Amino acid sequence: MPPFGRPPMGPGHGPHPGGGEYEDFNLEQMEKETEEMLKLRYLDKDNAVFERTKGGFVSVRIGDEFYPRVQVIRMFPFSDPDKYISIRTPDEHSKEIGVIEDMKNVSKETAQMLTEQLNLRYFTPIITKIINIKDEYGYAYFDVVTDRGACRFTINMGGHAVVHLSETRILISDIDENRFEIPDITKLSARELKKLDLFL
Amino acid sequence: MILKYDLSKENLALLALPDDEEICYAVPYDIDEAGSFLDNSYVVVTHRRIVILEQGTRKNEYLLSDCEKIASEPQIDCGLLLITTGGEEWIAARFSGKHLARFSYVARGSMMFLGGNFNLVTSEEYERTCPKCHRALPGTRECPHCSKKSGGFVKEFLSMLAPYKKRLFVIAFFMTLAAVVTLLNPEIQKRLIDDVLDNAKGTLPQAYFFLGIIFCLSIGMVILNIVKAYLCAKLGSMLSMDLRAKLYHKIQILSLSFINDRRPGELMNRVVHDTARIKQFMQDVFCNMFTVLIIFIFDIIYMLILDVKLALISFIFIPIALVLSTAFKKNIHRRFHRQWQKDDDVNSSLQDVLSGMSVVKSYGKEEEEAGHFNELADSFAKINRNNEVFWALFYPALSFIMGAGVYLIIFFGGSDVLNGTKTPGELLQFINYTSMLYMYLNWLTNLPRQLMNLVNSVERINDVMSQEPRIVDRAQATDQDIKGSIEFRHATFGYRSYKPVLENINLTVKPGEMIGLVGASGTGKSTMINLIMHLYELDDGELLIDGRDIRDIRLENFHSQIGVVLQETFLFSGTILNNIKFAKPDATYEEVIRAAKMANAHDFICRTPDGYNTYVGERGFNLSGGERQRIAIARAILNNPKILILDEATASLDTESEYLIQKALSRLTAGRTTFAIAHRLSTLKDADRLVVIDGHHIAEIGTHNELMEKQGIYYGLVTAQLEMQKVQ
Repeated sequence: MPPFGRPPMGPGHGPHPGGGEYEDFNLEQMEKETEEMLKLRYLDKDNAVFERTKGGFVSVRIGDEFYPRVQVIRMFPFSDPDKYISIRTPDEHSKEIGVIEDMKNVSKETAQMLTEQLNLRYFTPIITKIINIKDEYGYAYFDVVTDRGACRFTINMGGHAVVHLSETRILISDIDENRFEIPDITKLSARELKKLDLFL
Repeated sequence: MILKYDLSKENLALLALPDDEEICYAVPYDIDEAGSFLDNSYVVVTHRRIVILEQGTRKNEYLLSDCEKIASEPQIDCGLLLITTGGEEWIAARFSGKHLARFSYVARGSMMFLGGNFNLVTSEEYERTCPKCHRALPGTRECPHCSKKSGGFVKEFLSMLAPYKKRLFVIAFFMTLAAVVTLLNPEIQKRLIDDVLDNAKGTLPQAYFFLGIIFCLSIGMVILNIVKAYLCAKLGSMLSMDLRAKLYHKIQILSLSFINDRRPGELMNRVVHDTARIKQFMQDVFCNMFTVLIIFIFDIIYMLILDVKLALISFIFIPIALVLSTAFKKNIHRRFHRQWQKDDDVNSSLQDVLSGMSVVKSYGKEEEEAGHFNELADSFAKINRNNEVFWALFYPALSFIMGAGVYLIIFFGGSDVLNGTKTPGELLQFINYTSMLYMYLNWLTNLPRQLMNLVNSVERINDVMSQEPRIVDRAQATDQDIKGSIEFRHATFGYRSYKPVLENINLTVKPGEMIGLVGASGTGKSTMINLIMHLYELDDGELLIDGRDIRDIRLENFHSQIGVVLQETFLFSGTILNNIKFAKPDATYEEVIRAAKMANAHDFICRTPDGYNTYVGERGFNLSGGERQRIAIARAILNNPKILILDEATASLDTESEYLIQKALSRLTAGRTTFAIAHRLSTLKDADRLVVIDGHHIAEIGTHNELMEKQGIYYGLVTAQLEMQKVQ
C-alpha cells in the first residue's frame, strides 16, 4: 500500500461520495501525513519508472507505488525551469509524490516525456517580434509574433500588466490572463523598443 | 459569455448533422498539440457526441454514450479539455486563458448530458473583448463602440440630460453670447485703429469711447464665463448626483448575484468615478464645447470673407500644427506615464517597507532596504528631471511653431498694408482671428479622447441601469405576519446554473424551533440561509413560509420580520443608537435600552464616553468584536423578528464575551424559529435539531444525542473537534 493517507486517485474518482472528510479523521494518520509532508523524496532513474499513458499523460511507478497519472510542476519556472521538478498527484489536494532535482538525473526518454508534460502545462509564448502596439482609451493592443505563432492580445494599461522579472526580462499579462514573455528586451530592435517604451 | 459560436458552412458540413441532432455548444480552442496558436478550431457538443474540428478537418469525435467524464482542467496560462473513455483520460483540446471560463461551462454542461439532464448551461459572465471589433470591453455587456443601434450613445446621453432641458437652453444661450463677444472683439479693435488712431484721424473722446467698449466687452466676457462655468458646474453636479442616486438605488434592488459577479470595487467605481467623470465632462468640456465650435466655424468664415489669400495661407499651417501637437502630446503622455509608473513604484516600495518595518528591523535589513529605495528614488528623479527639461525646451518650441502661421500673416499682411491694399486695423483684426483659430484648434484635438471617456462612463452606468433585478415582487405578493414555519420541498439551487450547491432538499421546521446547520465549509450551509433570507431564489422546488410560497410574500414585508446576526458584524458609520434602530427607525429610547439589556450590551454602552450617542463605524469609536456582536444582537432583538439567522455569530470571540453573547442569544432565540451555523459544535447544544449537510444533500438530521448514537458524520465531527482540543 502507498505510504500516503489515501490511495492514489484514479480518473473519475471524485471527493468521497456521501462521507465527507471527517469520517476518516484520524489523529494518528494526520500526524503521519504531516510528517510525510516534511520529507523531500528525490526521484531519479534508479527509483522511479515513468511511462506515457494512452491519453497523453505520464504515469509513474516507484517501488510498489503506482500513480496512473501525475502532474509535473516547475518549482522555479523563471529562475531554473529544468531543475527541481515536482511530481504530484493530479487531484485537488495535489500531494507531492517526489522531486526530480535535475532533469539530468533521469534517462533521456524520461526527460523527454516530462518535458512534454511541462510543455502541456505551461503556456507562456515568447515574443520574438513586435509588429505593432496601439494604445486606445486605457487599453493597449499588441500585434506580435511569438515562438508559438503570430498573436494579437490586449492589455489593460491601468493595472500592472507588465512585470519585470529582471532589468531586461519582462512578463506581460493580457486581459484574459494569458502571459507573454520577452526574455531580453535589449535584443529588440530600436523600433520595437520604442513601441514598447511606454510599458517599461 | 458566448458558448455557442456560429460555425462556418465548411465546418457545419464537416459535422454532417442529421436532422434530429442539434448543436448545443460550440466553442473555439486555440492551441494545437505542438503548442502553437490555432485558428478556426472548435469543440462542438451535441446531445449525442463531442466533435473536435481543427482547421477545416474533423480531428476527433467522442460519443457521449462512451464518455465517463468530461472536465476542463486549468493549467498555467492555458487549459485542457479532458475526456475519459474506457477508463483512460484523453486530452481532447487545449486552449489559452481566453477560453478557460468558456470550457469550464461547456464541460459542466456536457457532464449534465451524461447525467441525463439535457438543459443547456448559460453564462452570465461578460465577454472581455467585443466579438465584433475586438476592442477590450470596459466591464460592460455592450461594446461602447459598436453598441446596439447607431446613435445609441447620443440617445442615451441625451436621455440623461432630458430632465435639465431648461438649464441646457440657458447654458446654450450664454455659450452663444460668449462666442459672439469673443468674435466681436477684433472687429472693435480694428475700428479703434483704423477710425481713430491711424494718422490721428479721431479725437480723444472717440478713443475713450472705443476703449470703453473694449473694456466693457472684456468685463462682459469675464462675467459671461463665470456665469457659464457656474451653470455648467451646477448642471454637472446635479447630473452626477442624480445618476449616483439612481445607480445606488439600482444596485440596492439588484439581486446579490449581480453584485457578487462583479469584482470588488467595480460597482463602487461606477457609482463614484464614472459619475464624477460625467460631471467633469460637463464642467470642462461641455461648458466650452459649443462656444468653441461656434467661434471656430465663424472664425474661419470671417477670415475667408476678410481676405481669402491670407486665410488660405494661415490654413496651410493647420495640418502641420495638428501633426506636431499630436506628436508632442503623445510624447508627453508617454513620458509622464512612465514618470507616473515610477512614482507608483516608489510609493508602493515605501509603503511596503513602512508597513513591514518590524520585519525589516528584526532581520537587520535596514541598510539593504534603504539602498533599494534609493535606487528607485534615483531613477524616479532622473525621469522627472528629463521630463522637466523636455517640457521646458519643447513647449516654447511648439508654441513657436503653432504660432508660425501668425508670422506668415504678419509678413504677407504687412506687405499689403505697406502697399496700401489693407489698413493696419484690418491686419490686426486678421492676426487676432488667426491666433484665435490656432488657440481653439489645440482645444479641439483633445475632444475625441474626452468624448470617448464620456462614452465609456455612460456605457458603464447604463450597463448597471439596464439590469433587471432577478428577485422582484410577484404581482400577487402580499404582506403577511409570519408565524415561523419553514418548509423546503425538493429544493435545488446553485449560484451557477451548472453547479448545484443544494440538491433536492426536504426539510420542515416548526415555528419556534432552533435548527443547527452543520457541515464542512463550502457544503451549502450559508447558501441555505441565503435562500431563507430570500436573497436568492430556488432553481427548482419550493420554499414555503407558513405554508405559503416565499415568493408570494412582499420582499420588504418579509425582510422586516427576519433578524440576522453574522460573524463579521457590520456597523454603519453613525451612533450606536442609530445602529440599533437600523431595522426599526421609530423605536423609542426605552425599547432601545431594553433591547441592549437583553443583548448584554447596555453596560458597555454606558461605559463609553458618549453613551448611546457614541459614534461607531469607520473612523468611529473602537469597539471590540464581542461588543460589535452584541450591538448586532440588540439590533436583531429590537426588530422582534419571527425568523432568526445566526451565521457563525460566536466565532472568533474570547471566552468571556462568548459567554455573554451565548446568554444574549439564548434570550433572543426563545420562541423564534432560528437557523444557526457554527463551526464550534458546542455552541449548537441548545438546538432542537441538527441538520448535517454534505455533498449537496441533507445527510443527517436529529438531536445531538440521536446523531451521536448514529455514529455518522456528526459523530465524526464532534470527535474530531474533541481530538483537536486535546492536541492544542
